[in-house]
Amino acid sequence: MSDVLDLPFTDAREQVSDYVDASLRAIEQLNPSLNAFLHVSDGASLAGVPVAIKDNITTTDMPTTCGSRILKGFRSPYDATAVERLRSWGASIVGKTNLDEFAMGSSTEHSAFGAAKNPWDVKRVPGGSSGGSAAAVAARMVPVALGSETGGSVRQPAALCGVVGMKPTYGRVSRWGLVAFASSLDQIGIVTKTVREAAEVLGVIAGHDPHDSTSSTHRVDDYMRNLEGGVRGMRFGVVIEGVEKLEGEVRANFDHALAVLRDLGASIEDVSIPTLPYAIAVYYIVANAEASANLSRFDGVRYGVRSERAKTLEDVYVDSRGEGFGDEVKRRIMLGTFALSSGYYDAYYARAQRVRAKMRHDFSQAFAKFDFLVTPTTPESAFEIGAKTNDPLSMYLNDIFTAPANLVGCPAIAVPSGFDAAGLPLSLQIMAADFAEGPMLRAAFAFERETNYWRRRPPL
Amino acid sequence: MKITRDEARRIAALARIEMDEPALDRMAAEMTTILTYIDQLSEVDVEGFAERAAGEATPMRDDTPHAPLDRDLVERNAPAWQDGFFVVPKVIGGE
Repeated sequence: MSDVLDLPFTDAREQVSDYVDASLRAIEQLNPSLNAFLHVSDGASLAGVPVAIKDNITTTDMPTTCGSRILKGFRSPYDATAVERLRSWGASIVGKTNLDEFAMGSSTEHSAFGAAKNPWDVKRVPGGSSGGSAAAVAARMVPVALGSETGGSVRQPAALCGVVGMKPTYGRVSRWGLVAFASSLDQIGIVTKTVREAAEVLGVIAGHDPHDSTSSTHRVDDYMRNLEGGVRGMRFGVVIEGVEKLEGEVRANFDHALAVLRDLGASIEDVSIPTLPYAIAVYYIVANAEASANLSRFDGVRYGVRSERAKTLEDVYVDSRGEGFGDEVKRRIMLGTFALSSGYYDAYYARAQRVRAKMRHDFSQAFAKFDFLVTPTTPESAFEIGAKTNDPLSMYLNDIFTAPANLVGCPAIAVPSGFDAAGLPLSLQIMAADFAEGPMLRAAFAFERETNYWRRRPPL
Repeated sequence: MKITRDEARRIAALARIEMDEPALDRMAAEMTTILTYIDQLSEVDVEGFAERAAGEATPMRDDTPHAPLDRDLVERNAPAWQDGFFVVPKVIGGE
């Protein structure tokens, strides 16, 4: 493949005139084996930086399916705010990426349009739910992709594909045009090969948007300034609940990452987040409760696919949803409906929200003492396709280190930290206090500059 | 928390999702496994932590009119559409 796609866009865009063409050619060549893209643009502007967009973020010039049969062929009347801002910046949207249906999953196997594959080993998952975005960047099909995060759906696939994945602070990026899954957790995230690229793209898409009343009016920092400032004297807290049970290569890799940070002059100390082990339990109540409400809009009336056998209005709802949703989406809507139902609300939804409030308290205490909190991004490297599809709970536990940042709202970034013996990528997660994306990117950049794992490319 | 087939049927009806008997059985078993895991939340002491954190006020804005979506673009996505309206099976005075 073209060398230009091996470079960060911050270098490549200065050097070439056929950047978008190179990207479209790479997609054409690699997508049959990776299934990272659901739609490829035939009319992309040939100028600018080629960018891929997760297919639950709306674009007017291509379909937006959310990886679901129920939205097959849906064409949004408007662009998401993040997409609009990327276009004004000079991005050319080359395609829409594969995902777990409605962003519900950690492997991209729950896509109605077939699983995406991991570029490092096509028998393995790319992670999820933004697996198509992570695979597309890892395979050098595009330099930048947007994903979305509800419990780690950008960071976890970025980790499994060996690329950078960032979740900004809740509200930092407008959710207008991001098809809602869990509105108190959802946030658009960024996948790139390098930290510098992520910093530039964040500067483009961040900021208040009148269309999203939860988007923050907090000032947007210049994320490129001081990126090279290093981590000397900065305080990193190692979340003991995240690492005490780790074993083998993931443990060794994490210890190595800490040693790198220490050598760069950072101070490293243990910190306790007692509620961390409950993150998945809290997440699957809160996220699914919100999803059960948000996905009620898919009823076969205003958009999407209507069941052909529906005779009454009630049939239109029940049959369209029964036929249109996949098993994982049904499972989550069912769990959420249960948690909100009369008689169970207090024991499930209200309790999960109270544990979440306690977790927020734990994090704010930790951020009073530390600049950053660190864990591995995932408890293991990429698993084989099919390994967890019959065991939803074990799939869910892949998000144990990523879900807390969504629950408390803080920014977090996954940065490549090396490879295991099988040659699969491993990843370091750095979390920071709300709106501290600037320092977080600076820390990630320092680690990346020292280790340079992003330069290794998958054997395609 | 054990979910029975009848409980799964009740929830599926609330969620407006068509599900046959084998699907209900499978769903009941999976929900039981997941909710049993979630039941560990009962061991957390949440005294002093509210369901909704103080200060999380809903942002307000002025109620000013905006241009509506282009009708043609809405129609393009509608499963059934006639004379500017979404069409659904008759609700009142049906057969």
